[in-house]
Amino acid sequence: MNILVFGQIRDNSVEENLLGILNKLSEVFGDSEISAALLTNQVNNDWIESLGKHGVNRVYTVETPELEVYLSRPYVKAMLEIIKKAEPTLVLAAGTVYGEDLIPRLAIHHGVSCAQRFVDISRDGDDVLFHTPVRDDQAMKITKIVGNIKFATSRTGAFFINENPSGQSPEVEKLDVSFDSNDMIVKHVEIKKAERTVNLKDAKLIVAGGRGVGGKENFQIIKDLATTLGGEIGATRACTDLHWIEETYEIGQTGQSVSPDVYIAAGISGAPQHLSGVKAKTLIAINNDEGAPIFNFADYGIVGDLHVILPILKSKIKS
Amino acid sequence: MKIIVFIDQIVSTQVKLQGVDFFDSSLINEDDLVINPTSKNAIEGALKLKDTSGASVTAVCVRGLKPIKALREAIAMGCNEAIEIADDSFYTEDPMLLAKIYVSALEKIGDFDLVFLGAEEQSTSSYAVGAMLAERLDLPSVLYAEEMESIENGFRIGHILEGGRKIVEIPKKALISTGDSPYFTPRYTSMRGILTAKRAEVPKWSSADLGLSASVTGKEAASLQQVSLSNIVIEKKSYIINEGEPEEMVDNLLSKLKEDEVKLGV
Repeated sequence: MNILVFGQIRDNSVEENLLGILNKLSEVFGDSEISAALLTNQVNNDWIESLGKHGVNRVYTVETPELEVYLSRPYVKAMLEIIKKAEPTLVLAAGTVYGEDLIPRLAIHHGVSCAQRFVDISRDGDDVLFHTPVRDDQAMKITKIVGNIKFATSRTGAFFINENPSGQSPEVEKLDVSFDSNDMIVKHVEIKKAERTVNLKDAKLIVAGGRGVGGKENFQIIKDLATTLGGEIGATRACTDLHWIEETYEIGQTGQSVSPDVYIAAGISGAPQHLSGVKAKTLIAINNDEGAPIFNFADYGIVGDLHVILPILKSKIKS
Repeated sequence: MKIIVFIDQIVSTQVKLQGVDFFDSSLINEDDLVINPTSKNAIEGALKLKDTSGASVTAVCVRGLKPIKALREAIAMGCNEAIEIADDSFYTEDPMLLAKIYVSALEKIGDFDLVFLGAEEQSTSSYAVGAMLAERLDLPSVLYAEEMESIENGFRIGHILEGGRKIVEIPKKALISTGDSPYFTPRYTSMRGILTAKRAEVPKWSSADLGLSASVTGKEAASLQQVSLSNIVIEKKSYIINEGEPEEMVDNLLSKLKEDEVKLGV
């Protein structure tokens, strides 16, 4: 198996979810050649070393100003050139927003489909099997791709990173790719980084609110319970988007990842995008929709109106 | 401006089915089908442009047992017309094949400016259709849009990004996939819309109408093949309280937590 991964860089480091995939690959495809594609306006040797440590044997780089920020067309073009050169049989990316944009496009160029959001990968003879939870994680679908080249993205948060990687420095091969104005038809304007003034990573207890909280004022109920319990508050992206609560409190795929002892999810439906950021020892759900997927993940739950339940919970704990 | 919105129809989360049963169409009633929430976001994006620039909006649904229900709801929300595409031979578990059907539909429709669709095709658990379609059509595209505004010669769009939001500008002829966001929060159907929807004629296209066949968009053409589908057995036992007065429920929860030695508070 000749494997190529999309060497995504985020916040000046190799994307953590990619490091997770590399750890999994060394376990399942230990005998395989692993290459990484590094597309950037300026190569940083730390990235190459980090990829090598985590098991990458060879890094293909394309270094040009057009690749400063991810944009579909130039990235697809550069990746297609690298694929031509590397001749991989399996192409993988972390299931980030960029990874999920890139991989299906590359697959289409090769006339095949792609597997997405896998949480496990295994081999069965020459087949590669992708294990993907579906329907609110109630069922596991295992798929394979028929074709000489297979494309897939993982689910973010699915794999652990090897904390003590021992790989060697990889070989580096530089490729030149040129771009025209048609490649740059989508214009990058800016990236608005969410302010992260509160670090929830080490919080032991979090009371988090979702769309069911219903408004900015109602978030006081969440805050009150968190204060009483001596914990932190959290929220889904919908709530921070609606400005019910500051964006620093966003938890999930695009927000903070948390691992508290207790996570109280109030008015949260339980979408994978939110729950992929939550690894709690105990999950307690309060939701008035008995059919909400959150109850499939909760250790404890109350089917009821959070606006009624939370204040009662608060006063009982206080007394 | 002519806008095409592809909509996805899914089984409501209210339906009391578990795991693999969701994939058994014999267990699903027509009444259980609803428009995928992210498809509703896409409809809203198209209708906002209809409101401001007089665009015409055509809703197209390929999926589902009876896509007609979703399409009537789309008209009730404000879409000008709808097209149902259905054929027993379609295999839409493979996003590439669904993208192929969409491409053929657009070829038959002919002239169009903008394509909207929801970022997540829940019914096939696929998030790839928008990117595949854009690539096949060679259309500039933005996925997971959260907000948009018209600018000269195109649109300025903010899309979801880990740790924030990215702003890009795209030309007028483009593909936009929408995520769940306040900007794209769908409007309710109006009484007038519901009446219009009831009367609307919805043309139905088959595989042959689109020049497709089972060898192109049927199961035999799929490159993404299902090996198995099984229920995920959750080992932990959930303790869900669904009856009693609120106060009793809270007491019930607290005593169970105490019994299990789960400490609330730090």
